[in-house]
Amino acid sequence: MSLNRRNFLKSSLAATTAMTLPIPAFAADVLNVALIVPSPAADVGWSHTLELGTKALEAKYGDKVKVTLLENIAEGPDADRIMNKTVADGNTFLILGSFGYMEGGLKLAKAHPEVSILHASGYKTAPNFSPFGARYYQGTYLMGMAAASLTKSKKLGCVGAFAIPELITSINAFTLGAQSVDPAIEVSVVWVNSWFDPASEQQAAKALLAQGVDVIFSNAQDTPSVIQTAEEAGVYAFNLNSSMKAYAPKKYLGVVGTDWAPYFLQSVDAHMSGTFKGASAWLSMADKCVFVADWNPDIPADIVTKITDAQSKLESGAFSPFTGPITDQSGAEHVAAGVTLGDDMILSMDWHVKGVTTPLPK
Amino acid sequence: MTILAFILAGTLAAATPMLLAALGELIVERSGVLNLGIEGMMALGAAIGFVVTYHTHNPYLGFAAAALGGIILSLVFAILALALTANQVAAGLAIGVLGQGVSSLLGKPLESQTLNAPDKLPIPGLADLPLIGPVFDQDVVVYLTLILAVVLWAVLNHSKLGLIIRAVGESPGAARAIGFPVVRIRLGAIAFGGALAGMAGAYASTIYTPLWADGMIAGRGWIAVALVVFGTWQAGRIVFGALLFGALSLGGLIGQAAGVALPSQVLASVPYVVTIFMLAVISSNRRRMRLNTVASLGQSFSG
Repeated sequence: MSLNRRNFLKSSLAATTAMTLPIPAFAADVLNVALIVPSPAADVGWSHTLELGTKALEAKYGDKVKVTLLENIAEGPDADRIMNKTVADGNTFLILGSFGYMEGGLKLAKAHPEVSILHASGYKTAPNFSPFGARYYQGTYLMGMAAASLTKSKKLGCVGAFAIPELITSINAFTLGAQSVDPAIEVSVVWVNSWFDPASEQQAAKALLAQGVDVIFSNAQDTPSVIQTAEEAGVYAFNLNSSMKAYAPKKYLGVVGTDWAPYFLQSVDAHMSGTFKGASAWLSMADKCVFVADWNPDIPADIVTKITDAQSKLESGAFSPFTGPITDQSGAEHVAAGVTLGDDMILSMDWHVKGVTTPLPK
Repeated sequence: MTILAFILAGTLAAATPMLLAALGELIVERSGVLNLGIEGMMALGAAIGFVVTYHTHNPYLGFAAAALGGIILSLVFAILALALTANQVAAGLAIGVLGQGVSSLLGKPLESQTLNAPDKLPIPGLADLPLIGPVFDQDVVVYLTLILAVVLWAVLNHSKLGLIIRAVGESPGAARAIGFPVVRIRLGAIAFGGALAGMAGAYASTIYTPLWADGMIAGRGWIAVALVVFGTWQAGRIVFGALLFGALSLGGLIGQAAGVALPSQVLASVPYVVTIFMLAVISSNRRRMRLNTVASLGQSFSG
């Protein structure tokens, strides 16, 4: 076929038709699940933990569930296009792994009531659209206890992505946990203002080291950059989501991990039985979502006992890190004695507790 | 390490990837070609450098392969911009996107793997000085990049080759009329720029932060392009701009860690604002500015 305008038009028309025709690509009794994540699903990090959650679906349902992973999907119009395409391809259960997919996902949910959607870290709900997140702060409180027992300078540090409530909450709980062991502990924070920039993360970690910080919290960074820098400098470090012990065999403090399998399984069960209901799910240790693991053996035995004790209280719901009295950075009492902050107050936290030395960017 | 030593020592290393790429772009732009694909060439160099070093454990081989990758991608640009006289801005942007895509693809199997950074090379005597000692305890690429800046300055301003490159950039028609092969000289400049951008990427992924993470160049290629323009195509000012930018970005992080009462977003934007401001002030002399601006920059030439 020669390449002239008429043939070109003809062939592109044919191609378009082929793409839009409803091809029954999947057998009807198979549930097609699509997982869409913003970063590469590497061996570690946020996207990886979501992928592990879908692996549990495949393990339970075998041939009945087929999971498609779409990684490295930038938030924005392109993500909307890809989400629509996945539904057009026959996926009826979507897991959206980033905050920025919210509006596009919500529109899709309204247009396709037969599709159920789980959306990470959002705040909007629809009958077939559930936002989900993890109470990382429960784990960072325990990490704070461990950090306080190991620091010599009494200065802890945190490299954070963006100053949003989720990350602020983790830092405050970390500080409170540390102060529960040693009230003199101070925490410095460096915001990188990027979800993803290994070089800046490394510089931020080094800036903290130059201040005499000797335990570093890598807060919502998906690369091992901070952990690697800490190991090299001989200071302890920990991170969220999945274990990075391999990058710091000596100085890895531990991980505040997330296991999405129970929640994904429960949601898919509900979808299959037609009882899926859109509702916000902020998952905790009690939900078996947040966990702590890979503790460093250097942590003294008496602190390990205290941590285990606090952990069981967190798991049973008998204890919340945000129980007063808590003073804020200005020294004023922010939470009165005996009062426990409600979820809405924690979810919108925009203040630091006393002991965090870096002012909060507004 | 004290805070001062941290900033002094860290600045050079932080500036090196941007400086290396900017020096390559300097030669390209001096020859009259605007290649906006630096970010993509750096990303490709970073991926190739990491993959080769990871498998061979030989960082030199990694750098060589990254340079080669940069050259190949820059030649794609050359075909578009020189042979087909396509719009240079569009062609540069296109290969930039291409480079980032290929980089993701190549790096994919090694996502979030790490390397051991090569040992540093302290300069005997100087590295033991009090206070400023850490400045002279850098990896070999840092020294070589600074030496390269001096060499390129000398070549551009005090050699026949430099005169030819500048002549081609100022007036390709006149250069052609007196017998210089304009297109071939520009081709050479583009390939040189590609090699340096590729190596700049390899420095970022194998030495500065020795790990692979897709998208790790994170805009440093664009800073390199900006440095060349705001440094008014002068090697010395580009070095100054790169160091200033590096120092300020570290200073901002230090400021945050020390609890300076400025929002982190402001501290993060300081390096950009101040670097552009300083370079603009330096080159505020209009007559000199006109003298330095490459007359045929970005214009296609066929002859």
